Amino acid sequence: MIKDLVTDKKHLFADNANTELRAQLNRSRTVVLVNGDLVNNVRSENFGVSARVYENGVYGFSSTAEYTDETVREVLKAASDNAAFMAKHAGRGKGTHPQMPDTARFTAHDIRDLEQRAYIDFAKAADAYIAEKHPDLLSRTVVAMADSSEKLIAVSNGADVHWLQPRSFLYVVLTAATPAGQPVELYDVIGGYGPFDSNFTEVSALHERIDRLYDKLRQKANGVYPDAGEKTVIFSGKLAGMLAHEAVGHTVEADLVIGGSVAGPNLNKRVGSELVNLVDFAHTAFGKPVPLPVYADDEGTEATDAVLIKDGILVGYMNNRETAERFNMTPTGNARAYLFSDEPLIRMRNTAVLPGSSKLEDMIASVEDGYYLIDTNNGQADTTGEFMYGVTFGYEIKKGKLGRAILDTTISGVAFDMLKTVDMISDSMTWVSSGMCGKKQPMTVSMGGPEIKCKVNIGGR
Amino acid sequence: MLEALKNTAKNAVGALLTEGADKASVSVYHTVTHEFNVDGGEFSLFRTLFDKKLVMECLKDGRKGTVSQNRYDDETIASEAKSCLGSAASAMQDDCWDFAPVTENEDFVQGELKPDTERLFLRCRELLADISARYPKILLEQAIFQHKETTSARANSNGVLFSEHKGCYEIMLMFSGHEGEKASSFFVSMASTPSLDKPFIELGSFADDLKNVEKQIESESVEGKFEGTMVLMPGCVRDLIGTLLMSFASDQGLLSGTSPWKDSLGEQVADERVTISLAPLDERIVCGKRVTGEDFRAENFDIIKEGRLNAFALSLYCANKLGLERGLNDSDSMIIAPGDKSLEEIIASIDRGIIVGRFSGGAPSSNGDFSGVAKNSFLIENGRLGPALSETMIAGNMAAMLKNLRAISKEQVADGSMVLPYMAFDGITVSGK
Repeated sequence: MIKDLVTDKKHLFADNANTELRAQLNRSRTVVLVNGDLVNNVRSENFGVSARVYENGVYGFSSTAEYTDETVREVLKAASDNAAFMAKHAGRGKGTHPQMPDTARFTAHDIRDLEQRAYIDFAKAADAYIAEKHPDLLSRTVVAMADSSEKLIAVSNGADVHWLQPRSFLYVVLTAATPAGQPVELYDVIGGYGPFDSNFTEVSALHERIDRLYDKLRQKANGVYPDAGEKTVIFSGKLAGMLAHEAVGHTVEADLVIGGSVAGPNLNKRVGSELVNLVDFAHTAFGKPVPLPVYADDEGTEATDAVLIKDGILVGYMNNRETAERFNMTPTGNARAYLFSDEPLIRMRNTAVLPGSSKLEDMIASVEDGYYLIDTNNGQADTTGEFMYGVTFGYEIKKGKLGRAILDTTISGVAFDMLKTVDMISDSMTWVSSGMCGKKQPMTVSMGGPEIKCKVNIGGR
Repeated sequence: MLEALKNTAKNAVGALLTEGADKASVSVYHTVTHEFNVDGGEFSLFRTLFDKKLVMECLKDGRKGTVSQNRYDDETIASEAKSCLGSAASAMQDDCWDFAPVTENEDFVQGELKPDTERLFLRCRELLADISARYPKILLEQAIFQHKETTSARANSNGVLFSEHKGCYEIMLMFSGHEGEKASSFFVSMASTPSLDKPFIELGSFADDLKNVEKQIESESVEGKFEGTMVLMPGCVRDLIGTLLMSFASDQGLLSGTSPWKDSLGEQVADERVTISLAPLDERIVCGKRVTGEDFRAENFDIIKEGRLNAFALSLYCANKLGLERGLNDSDSMIIAPGDKSLEEIIASIDRGIIVGRFSGGAPSSNGDFSGVAKNSFLIENGRLGPALSETMIAGNMAAMLKNLRAISKEQVADGSMVLPYMAFDGITVSGK
């Protein structure tokens, strides 16, 4: 655990400002095997302390990789000096933030740091299984990785925080040849919250999942290009999660609303069918812990759920304290920083479309001519709400039945138009927590959802 | 500082050898960053960051270990040397790992090493005023104005000892056009400069990008689907050609054997007018890399020369593995040779097509197939620029695209990190709603 050199510096915080002092350690352990060759074998750590001071409506920030009593005092002074510079030259005539509850929030567990051998041995065993069982593959890549973040935060106004987040994953990327000899690729990610030895014990437990990935890849190798144009589709839970995060989530981050996003003029208006509900969960959903729990953010705000769309109506944004005041909303703990040297930004946590009452088989049966889109490799969205996802696996739906697999394609739409076409939502729920969201800094996030039936544009050949 | 870092790097190499490494390589960095942020058109933040980085790599019996820390005191170096050897001990033996041999060591100095913070702030404020006056429909969603001073040293057990000390200013603008409730897509434009001599509005393609985005507030979708010509603006050339080189000419695609170019060295892979170089030493590149991440002195090289695949951008490991030559630098300082037609002439030659400012798409398939949304784009019809487009998708194949070149512009944009022209390709599928 990080030694506490920040809490006893609170007496140095200025009275006329909001101050946060944060010590933080990020670790990552990565092993990459390509066709059995170990091409990456890296352990890295990033540790330091930062201070942020809010004065007269603007911020000063400073950080250093040295963590001693002296350097903690120095970053505090540097952040105050920077805030004073900004307040003098670009101040907005604002006071400090309203007082927040000061209940300290501490997570209960510690992070186990395994030796590199644990990752290498597991990756080798997984790779050996694939090589032996599926020798006809063009290539195989196995990545075993773990990352973690630990933060110790003292604030002038709000909750002091000690927060830890360990994640670990195994990536399996397989490439096969089409009958015409063209390479096609498919990947799976296994794992989630927790250290590596919590998520992975025996490779044999993953055999079935690896074989399933291989079977899907074989179907894809014989797949077809989808037809371009607007189509009725069913999103898997993974794609629904991507929709929640990329297409809607970013547009309702309050800093992007101020930057002109489509959510600005649509607050309290209908943006989806009445089936659509969307929430950015803090730490608990449906009575269980979410994949990446956040109990308090880096401004010391206690984390609560941010309800964004309720029964198809846009009802809220995700805020930091400054934007919450501006929009007269309650901050819900979305101000998060990735490294010690990063300032907190408005970020998502566990963003999801809520399940409905339909069954997947009924949803497929209701589609005359469309697609069931299952896997995605990335997604991007515009502040206008126009989004795109890369789709790496799916099936045709013809007359209510699944047809041939499809080759890689891209889908697009405009979120607040597309959500109005949602006419069925399944009663299941799938979460994905391996992603990194990019917005000036990376950030660990999870996203989830049920199957959704809607209309989008498909970019075929 | 420089001498101290060089000594630290040498000491860390010594620590690895003492722990039993056969070969060792160490890089040490000290960075100081001064940064102003603008959010929603207003100044919001001033940051000063002091950071360090230590990367230690070792080879022991052909097994490689790498550790990275952001501290390099004696105690950390000693403990990380043990950790690095421990990591290597778990690795598989592979004799293709190696470090650069010593050639001629040198100390490199580039750019304005220390920031003039007051003047930087004034240049930022001047840019906000320029945008407000000249492009009144533009909302600056975010802007980052940064000076970064990097001092680094790199040493290895073969006797390599390089140092670099550089400082430059970097500007990132993210903006969109607005009129009432109508808005354009957002656009990101970047530039680097070694000094504050010029107003920022004159750097890179800022002025053109701001002008274009103002014209994109009103947009429409293409009707149906057609095959036509795609003109990529320089920023989009960077994204698409950069992705192509990453997939076809770099370690991953070659090592996995999935690159369509894996057996094409020396062969024609593009139209003969295409020459693509990685050239960090070019005078138009600001603070370009002088030393590679594998301890080699960086040299410019052509990946594609007059349409022929001249070299791969491979690491030393991958080159040894495949029996090929390594890339002579590992930068992303891409330079594409200009053509002989103006952008105006190129557009005038196109019956039906699209000019694309930004591509929002999935990662291309292993075979080069790509599809995605054409953002910040305009229709081209009968040799003229048409309306701005939204909800319009483009699809094609990257390998085929380079052979289906229609033209390269004689205009190039030099933004400090790359020097790129407009490029026009035939045979692209464009589809609307």
